Amino acid sequence: MREGHIRRPGEAVFSILMAAFSLFLLWKAIEIDGFSALSSSGALPMGAAATMVVSAVLIAMKTLKSEPDKTETFAVNILPRDVWTGVALIIAYAVLLVPLGFLPTSFLFLFVMTKALSGRSWFFCLWTSAVTLVSIYLVFRVVFAVLMPEGIVPEGQILAWFGKLLSGGK
Amino acid sequence: MKKAWLGAVLALGVMTGAASAQYPNKEIQGIIQWGAGGSTDVVSRSITPHAEAVLGGKVVLQNVTGGVGAIGLNKAADAAGDGYTLLYGAENPLLYKVMGLGQKDYSDFVPVNVIARGTAILVARNDAPFNTFPEMLAYIKANPRAVKFGSTGPGGLPSVITAMINSKTPIQVTAVPYDGDGPALTALQGGAIDVMPAVVGAAIENIRAGRIKALTIMDTAAHPALPNIKPITDTHPEFKQYLPWGPFFGVFVKKGTPDDVVKKLVDSFAAGAKNADFLKMMEGRAFTMLNLSGKDADAFLGKWQSTTAWLLQDAGMAKNAPDKLGIPKP
Amino acid sequence: MAGFSSFFTPFIDPKLLFLIATGTWAGIYIGAIPGLSVTMAVSILISFTFSWDVLPALALMAGIYMGGVYGGSRTAILLNIPGAPAAIATSLDGYPLAQKGQAGEAIGITTTVSFFGGMLGILVLATAAPIVSEFAVRVQPRDYMMLAILGLLLVGSLSGESLIKGVFAGAFGLLIGTVGMDPLTVADRFTFGFDALRGGISFVAVMIGMFGISEALVQLHDVHKEAVRQNISKIVPSWATILKHMPLSLRCSTIGVIIGALPGTGGDIAALMAYDHAKRTVKNPEVPFGQGAIEGLVAPETANNAAVGGAYIPMMTLGIPGDSVTAIMIGALFIHGLNPGPMLMIDKPDMFWYIVGSLTLGTIFMLIFGLTGIRFFVKVVEMPRTVLLPMIILLSIVGAYAVNNSLTDVYWTLAFGVLGYFMKCYGYQLGPVILGVILSRLLDDNWRRAIISDQESLWLLLKGTLMSPLSIVLFGSIIFLLVSKTALWKRLFTRAA
Repeated sequence: MREGHIRRPGEAVFSILMAAFSLFLLWKAIEIDGFSALSSSGALPMGAAATMVVSAVLIAMKTLKSEPDKTETFAVNILPRDVWTGVALIIAYAVLLVPLGFLPTSFLFLFVMTKALSGRSWFFCLWTSAVTLVSIYLVFRVVFAVLMPEGIVPEGQILAWFGKLLSGGK
Repeated sequence: MKKAWLGAVLALGVMTGAASAQYPNKEIQGIIQWGAGGSTDVVSRSITPHAEAVLGGKVVLQNVTGGVGAIGLNKAADAAGDGYTLLYGAENPLLYKVMGLGQKDYSDFVPVNVIARGTAILVARNDAPFNTFPEMLAYIKANPRAVKFGSTGPGGLPSVITAMINSKTPIQVTAVPYDGDGPALTALQGGAIDVMPAVVGAAIENIRAGRIKALTIMDTAAHPALPNIKPITDTHPEFKQYLPWGPFFGVFVKKGTPDDVVKKLVDSFAAGAKNADFLKMMEGRAFTMLNLSGKDADAFLGKWQSTTAWLLQDAGMAKNAPDKLGIPKP
Repeated sequence: MAGFSSFFTPFIDPKLLFLIATGTWAGIYIGAIPGLSVTMAVSILISFTFSWDVLPALALMAGIYMGGVYGGSRTAILLNIPGAPAAIATSLDGYPLAQKGQAGEAIGITTTVSFFGGMLGILVLATAAPIVSEFAVRVQPRDYMMLAILGLLLVGSLSGESLIKGVFAGAFGLLIGTVGMDPLTVADRFTFGFDALRGGISFVAVMIGMFGISEALVQLHDVHKEAVRQNISKIVPSWATILKHMPLSLRCSTIGVIIGALPGTGGDIAALMAYDHAKRTVKNPEVPFGQGAIEGLVAPETANNAAVGGAYIPMMTLGIPGDSVTAIMIGALFIHGLNPGPMLMIDKPDMFWYIVGSLTLGTIFMLIFGLTGIRFFVKVVEMPRTVLLPMIILLSIVGAYAVNNSLTDVYWTLAFGVLGYFMKCYGYQLGPVILGVILSRLLDDNWRRAIISDQESLWLLLKGTLMSPLSIVLFGSIIFLLVSKTALWKRLFTRAA
C-alpha cells in the first residue's frame, strides 16, 4: 500500500499523537502503584507503556524525517467522502443508541448509510435495511436473547404479546 | 390507511396499558454478577426455571461480569425499579464499600431470596508436610513465609478465612493470588501453592478422589458431605465467634419496586428454592440451603456484613473503616 | 476401556445424530458471524436445555463447539474479518487467496485440515487424556509466564513491513488488557475514576472493532468496485495437496492439543503459535506467507480444531476447564446433576466415551457441511458492498454488545474501529494489538504469581526455572528465538526498524 520512506498525509500528526498518548499512559501507569514491588499491579502497565513510548518516539522521528507523499491528499486517500460518512454515522449511532433505542437507531443507520453509499432508490434502501435489521433482530434478540436498549419502541411488550399469541392466548 | 395505523398503535397502547396491571407482562432481565459456568451462574440458572413456573413469566439471564461483580450490580441498580430487572449475586457486594470498590451495595436492593450458603474448608496439596490444622500451624511457625496460601484477591473468601485464622492464631504465610477458586485448586494439585481456603463444593470432588487433602472445616460442626473431617472448633473453640460463616447466593430487586411485585417475586423464588431437583443439585455441591426473605434475609445480610467487614478491618485490608460506613461491630 | 460402547451411542440414536448435525451446522454460522461466539451459544444452551436429559444437551454443545471453532475461518477468508479469535491467523493468508478468486480452494483446504486437526485432538483425548491432564496441571506460573513471552515474540511474524510499529501495537495491546480493576489486588488501572472502566475493556470488543469495523471502513475506499468473482468449482483438495501438508498438520495439531489442554490458554493462542511455527519451519512455500500461502491456512486451522479435543482433556479427567467453553460445559454438567471432577471418569466412564463419540461425529459433520455449504457464503460476499458494509458494521456493533450486554463495550468497539482504521492507513498491523490483549492477563497474572511465590526475588525465580525440565525447555526456546536468525534481533539490527 505504501513505500518505505514516503510519509502519507496526516501520518506525521498521527505519529506525534501516538507518542504523546503513550507518554500520558506511562504517566498514568506509574501513578497506579509507583515502583513499590516487582509484583505490583503497575508492573506490566509500566513495562508496556514504556515500550510504547520508546517505539512511538522512534516511529515519530523516522516519520518526520521521511519525504511527504506528493501524490496523495488527506481528503482523497485517507478520509474520502465515503469513509468519513461511515465514521460520522458510527459516531451518530453511538450517541443515539440509548435515547432512541436499538431498533430505530439501527434502522436509521442502515438506511442512511446504504442510501449515501449506493445512491440507489428509496425503496431499495428501505427494503434492504428492513430485511437486514429484521434478520439481525431475530438472531440476536429472539434466538440468543440479547436485550438491546429498548428506547422508544416497547419491543419487549410487543414480543411478549406475540409470544402469548403463539402459545394460544395464555 | 393512516387511520388504521393509528388505530393499531392505540390498540397496542391500550393493550399494554391494561396488561401492566398484571406483573409480569414482558420478559424479565436477570443479571448474573459472575461468569457463565461459575457457582453463582449454576445456582442462578438452576433455580430460575422453577421460579418461572410459579411466576408465570420468562426471566432472560445474562452474565454481566467484571469489577468483582460491581459492573453487574451497578447495571441492575441503574435500571427502573419496576421488577423487570433482577440481580443474581453472591456475598461480595456487602464488602464493596469497605473495600472501596463502589458506592452501591445490597442496601440499594431488596432481597428476594437468600438462597443458600457454602461452608469454607482448608485444603492442602497431598504431599504437604502437615495433615491437620494444628500441624499446619506448627509447621508455619517453624518456617515463616515458606507456606504458600492461595488467594483470590482482597475481600475474596480465602482472604477472609486467612484473616479469621490470623486474628486467633497469627501465621506468616505468602498469599499467591488467583482469579478464582477453580484455578487456585488446580494450582494446588500442581504444587504451585500449598494450602487453599476454599468453599466445600469446589473442593469436594478433588478430596473424594484423593487429589488434595482436607485439613479442617471452618465451621462449628462436621459437614454432612465430609463427615470425617473435623471442624476447626474441635481444636480451637475460639473460632466460634465467627462461625458459621460462608459465601452465599441470592436474588435481589431494586429498592422502590412496588410491594405487590416484590411479594410475587418472593413467593415464586421461595417455591423455586423448594424444588426437589434443585435441592438435589445443591446437595451435590454441598451448599446449605437458607431460603430466606424479608426480615430474616435482612438480618442474615447484616450479620454477615458486620462479621466480615470488621475482620477485614482488623486485618488491615479495609480501605474504609466499617464504623464510618455505619456497619456495627459484631 | 470400560464404557467404550457408549462411543457409538450418538451414531445410532437418530435423535442424537440429528442434534449433533444441527449443532455443527449452527456452529459454523455462529462461528462465522463476528459477535456471535461459541461461548455465548453454549451459555444460552444451558438455560435452553435445562429440562432435557444430559446426553442430548452435551451432544448439541459438542457439535456447536466443533463447528464454531471451524466457522470462524469462513469470514476470515472471505471478508478479512475473523469470525472468532481463533481465526485471526487464518485471515492473513486466507483473504489474499479470496482476492485472487480462490476462496473455494482456500475453504476446501481449510475444511480438510480442520477435520484432520479435530480428529487428532479427539484421538489424543481418547487415548492419552489422563497423562496429558497430569502434565497440564503441573505447569507452574513461571511456565505460563514464559509461554506468554513466547507468544509475544510472535509480534515478529505479525508485524508486516515495520517491526517497530508491530512492537508498538503489541505493547498497546498488552496495556489495553490491563485496563480495569486488577483482579488480584483490586487496584484500579487506567480507569480514570469511571465505574464502567472497572470491568476492563472486553477483548472481543477490541477484536470486533479492529477487525470488523476498521476493515469495513478500509473497504469503503473502493465501495463501488465489483466484488471479486470466486471460482468455487474446485473445492475438495487433491490427495497430493493433503499429503504434502500432512507433516505440518501433524506438528500444528500437537501444538493445538497441548495449548488447548492447558487451563488458561486456548485455540486463539494455539492458532497464532501454529502460524508462527509454519512461518519459521516452511522455508519455501509456493506463495510467500501473507500473500496467500496454503501453509498459512493449514497451520492455524489444524491447531484450533485440535485445541477442541485438548480443551476437553482436563475437563473430562479432572473437572478443570481447558477454556471458556468447557468452563460453561462444566456448569452444565452440574446443573444436570453430575459432579464433574476426577471421579467422573472413574464413576461414569460411559460419559467420557459418549463425549468422545459426539465430538467425532461433530467433526465428521463439520467436514460434510464445510465442503457443501460454500455457495451461500460466497453469494453473501458477492453482494454489493454498499449493502454488505453497513450490515457488517451493524453486526459488529450488536455482537460487541452481546458479549457482555454492555454499552461500554459498544463504545469501545466503535473507538477501536476508528483508531484501527487510522493505524491500518499508516502501516500498523492490527494482529499484534490483539495478540497483546490475548496474552496480557496470562503474562501479568503469572509473572506476579511467580515472583510472589519466589519472595520477590529474580534470583530465586531464575533458580526455580533451572530446576524444572519444562521451564528449561521454555526458557531455552525464548533465548533461541531471540538470537536465531529469523527472529527479532536480526530484523531489529539489520533494518534498523
